[in-house]
Amino acid sequence: MGSSARKKKEKKKDFQKVKLKVGKTKQKADNFTDTSFKSKSIVVNQQSLTTSAPSSTSQFAHYLSLASSSRSDTQRRDALSYLTTQVSSLPVNEALPLPTAVLLPKLLPLILDGSSSVRTQLLKFLRLLPYADIGDRAESALLYTRAGMTHLAADIRTDALAMLEWLLEVAQEDVITCAGGWVKTLNCFMSMMGWAVSSGSTKWTSASKASFGKAGKSLPRQLLVLAQFLRAGLVETESEAVLVDGGMFPLWGVERHMIPSRSNAFAHLNLFGSSRDEEGEMYIDREDRQRIFHKRYQAAVELGIGNAKKEAGEAGRAAAVLTKVLRDGMNDYVGIDDAQ
Amino acid sequence: MPKKRVGALEKVDADLSYSEDFLNQYGQYRSQRDIFLASPSTATSTGVVSFRDLIDFVAHVADCFPEDTAEFPEDLKTILTLHHASLESELREKIVGSLVLLPTPSKTLRTLLFQKILSDLRTSNSKAKNHRLNRTIQTALFNLLTSDRASAKGIWAVKITRELWKRQIWTDAKAVEIMKEASLADNEKVIGGGVRFFLGGDKEREELEDDSSDEEAGIDIGKLKHQAGINKKTKKKAKTLERAVEKVRKNEKKKKQPHPLNFSALHLLHDPQGFAEQLFSKHLQSSRSKLNLDQKLLVLQLVSRLVGLHKLTVISLYTYFIKYLTPRQPSVTSFLASLAQSTHNLVPPDALEPLVQKIANEFVSEASASEVASAGLNAIREICVRQPMAMSDTLLQDLVMYRKSKDKGVMMAAKGLLSLYREVDPDKLAKRDRGKSATMGLKSGTIKERRFGEQEVGGIEGLELLEQWKDEERKRKRVERGLPEELGTDEEDDSDAEEDWGAWDVESDASSDSGGWINVESDAEIEISDSEDDKPAAKKAKLDLKAKSKGEDNDKNGDEENENEDADKALEQKISKLATTKILTPADLAKLQELRLSASVNKAMGGSKSQSARLKELAARHTDDALTAEQIEGFSALRKSTKEEMVALAREGKGERGEHKSTQALRRDKKNAEGKSTTNKEKSRKKNFLMTLGKAKFKQKRSLTQTKRVLKGHIERSKRGGKRGNIGQ
Repeated sequence: MGSSARKKKEKKKDFQKVKLKVGKTKQKADNFTDTSFKSKSIVVNQQSLTTSAPSSTSQFAHYLSLASSSRSDTQRRDALSYLTTQVSSLPVNEALPLPTAVLLPKLLPLILDGSSSVRTQLLKFLRLLPYADIGDRAESALLYTRAGMTHLAADIRTDALAMLEWLLEVAQEDVITCAGGWVKTLNCFMSMMGWAVSSGSTKWTSASKASFGKAGKSLPRQLLVLAQFLRAGLVETESEAVLVDGGMFPLWGVERHMIPSRSNAFAHLNLFGSSRDEEGEMYIDREDRQRIFHKRYQAAVELGIGNAKKEAGEAGRAAAVLTKVLRDGMNDYVGIDDAQ
Repeated sequence: MPKKRVGALEKVDADLSYSEDFLNQYGQYRSQRDIFLASPSTATSTGVVSFRDLIDFVAHVADCFPEDTAEFPEDLKTILTLHHASLESELREKIVGSLVLLPTPSKTLRTLLFQKILSDLRTSNSKAKNHRLNRTIQTALFNLLTSDRASAKGIWAVKITRELWKRQIWTDAKAVEIMKEASLADNEKVIGGGVRFFLGGDKEREELEDDSSDEEAGIDIGKLKHQAGINKKTKKKAKTLERAVEKVRKNEKKKKQPHPLNFSALHLLHDPQGFAEQLFSKHLQSSRSKLNLDQKLLVLQLVSRLVGLHKLTVISLYTYFIKYLTPRQPSVTSFLASLAQSTHNLVPPDALEPLVQKIANEFVSEASASEVASAGLNAIREICVRQPMAMSDTLLQDLVMYRKSKDKGVMMAAKGLLSLYREVDPDKLAKRDRGKSATMGLKSGTIKERRFGEQEVGGIEGLELLEQWKDEERKRKRVERGLPEELGTDEEDDSDAEEDWGAWDVESDASSDSGGWINVESDAEIEISDSEDDKPAAKKAKLDLKAKSKGEDNDKNGDEENENEDADKALEQKISKLATTKILTPADLAKLQELRLSASVNKAMGGSKSQSARLKELAARHTDDALTAEQIEGFSALRKSTKEEMVALAREGKGERGEHKSTQALRRDKKNAEGKSTTNKEKSRKKNFLMTLGKAKFKQKRSLTQTKRVLKGHIERSKRGGKRGNIGQ
């Protein structure tokens, strides 16, 4: 019974809350058991012990990763050329070693690659891919293409144009109708050719002084690709024309009521994504594209064409082509009052 | 906000020359952004121009192209908010940096940045102080405050500085300088922040420190406890001792702190006079100041604090007070507290006298409410503590009469005033109010009226205690040796001196225990050569030598004087001559420390103090802590509650009293409810009568020896302290 104060204190100790302090580790509980152990690492001298050669698929994957992430230019190029030969030597109806869905995201960033040999090799490889697979991934491909078109290095820009040409070849419809595909790409063209108008109110009308947009040689090519792009977006295709002209006479506008043939037909409603602005919108209909083109670009384009024509020569010829496309595309455009 | 800009761009008309190039770059930025948003984790572009550089560029020139880059800040924000976790660190840093560059970052971003800056500074200062970084940041904050005094931006500088001050990361004068600029700003919020820092920043810092510091086993308190144990034990005494020890320990700990540069912000100010004057003229005196009453009160508090602490002279401050000294003035007690705080012994009494008069006229009268009167009296007392000459004797005698008041607050306030003047200047009191000690002091001349500007003569704290102790020791030894207690006229007092030199070091300080045993040859003259041999270090020896020869001369003189003046030593406590006549050995210093300690314990336990010590304490009180309005309100603050409130206060915790039982019964019920058993007393009271009968009967039949044993046992028990006794303590 004696020395009760001390004993009481001792008894109390068990029930006292341990005060936690910042910067100090929590005290171990009384019944704490140390379960940690030490082990020594084992060093293996030979890295690979397989006797059989790696399968072609795994080798393909290996080269793919080399192409997408290697540090050296030559290694990337060589890897790409390996991929190209592999794909081109495949039997006709054989599937690719890896699906396009895997290939494209890895390879598309190479559009912006610094080395030109890599880029040309990339284009060669992409041309081998099945067309049908590209359409669904046109949007992501366009992202990188646009980045290439506005790139500071002139040769990257030129190669990006080639890429756009290829895209227009293989998936024309998807390129112009995907989200951001129409307006943003046009924006890129405008800034690339120095036709862009600042949204700020400039009091001065002046000739383009941009220092990088005016690579003289590339202008005709730019004009031609733009013409191609505009043709895809503005000029109606034959099948459409037939329909519009009343090919199936008693019926009118039948194709609009039919089951859509494209994938993700209601993507333009954008039911699940974040809301898009005018630039990122999908322009499915030709009329929409015409309208936005008229509203934002026509004046600038016509002005640019005028200037290009004055240059004559190759640029002048290309400008003439562009003029024709423009006329074809916009002649049936009826100005819709946008004021509403 | 300092903006980094591409230098050339500022000079060029951006609209004309570079817009297309910019648009190209901006286009590139946008396409890169799209890529990034499409796949944030994989798109770490390692191309020719990285996304990071583009953001950097656009951010720098964005204000030249406001229309084109309207969406740029929003973009950055969405990137940050959506992908902050997966962003690579450099890119994230760049985005945040760019956002700051832009004209209008959002509020949440600001708080985020604020925390980031704080944590960055804390981590970079955690191991050792990063002086360069601190200097840079401090300069930036200073510039932020001084570049545009009217803007509210400065509040961030205030916040950062205050936080870092609190955490003792910034403890230098530069941080204080930043706050000084803040309190001289034009924006109300910034002013408030700066002023509050000076008024509460240090307290905040101390509190944080107290929280974080661990309790350690401090000084040896066993000894003190033992001394307290010799006297009669009561709970109260034990408690007071405990508290005193606690206090002493706390003080010791504070003294031992490794931070030597832990000055308070008020002490680190350069040019406090200028600062106080500027504050006063800019925020208080000027009619254009937009501060409201509360803010003005804060500023006033700071000004008065500065004036009181540094003994500044801002004469116009006192006239400023006059119009606020009426009972109807809102928060008048704060004004009174500020006034008292701004008083010090170098303020001309002429400036204060009308104020005291006005307080007396407005507040202290039979007609005014008791709270008002006590507040007025308290204020007057606080003023007079600091400048006793501010009071005229007629007014004082009037005010002292209020000690007969029926209201306790007024009575206590008046008594306080009375006791103050008994010590400070009893001449001003009526003869019958002076009291015994003051009258005696006046007669003997120890209490003198002090003139304006007169300073207390300083000394070493506790030196008189040491002297007294030495004196006692000497006497004790002489008694042990069989000599008369006092020195004879022809005897020389060398023994003490030699003993001291022998006990140069603290370790060898055995003098108090060994008594005179060791010093057999104590009456011999000291031979200089001997003592020189004793000392191992030559330098020390030389010092000793010099001191000794000097000390001897002085000792002789001093002793003679001592005897001559022995008679009129009486009450007066002069400045000790010990320090000027002798060199204090480390042993002496250790003893001095011990004596100081015990003295402070004594003081805390309410022992008697000397008059001058009390005076000094009174004067020093306000330098440590600010005077608050509560102190002025004093006792009357308690009476503010209505009767209902008081009843409620008394009822509190007593529980519901549904049935009318006795208090005892209620307590028993409560105990039962808590599951506790009955006390021994209760048990004995409830014991069956028949069971007690045997014992009672036996008591009468006890033999003499039995009775003796019982009585003895009783005495024994009471000595032991009850049945259980004090075992184990």
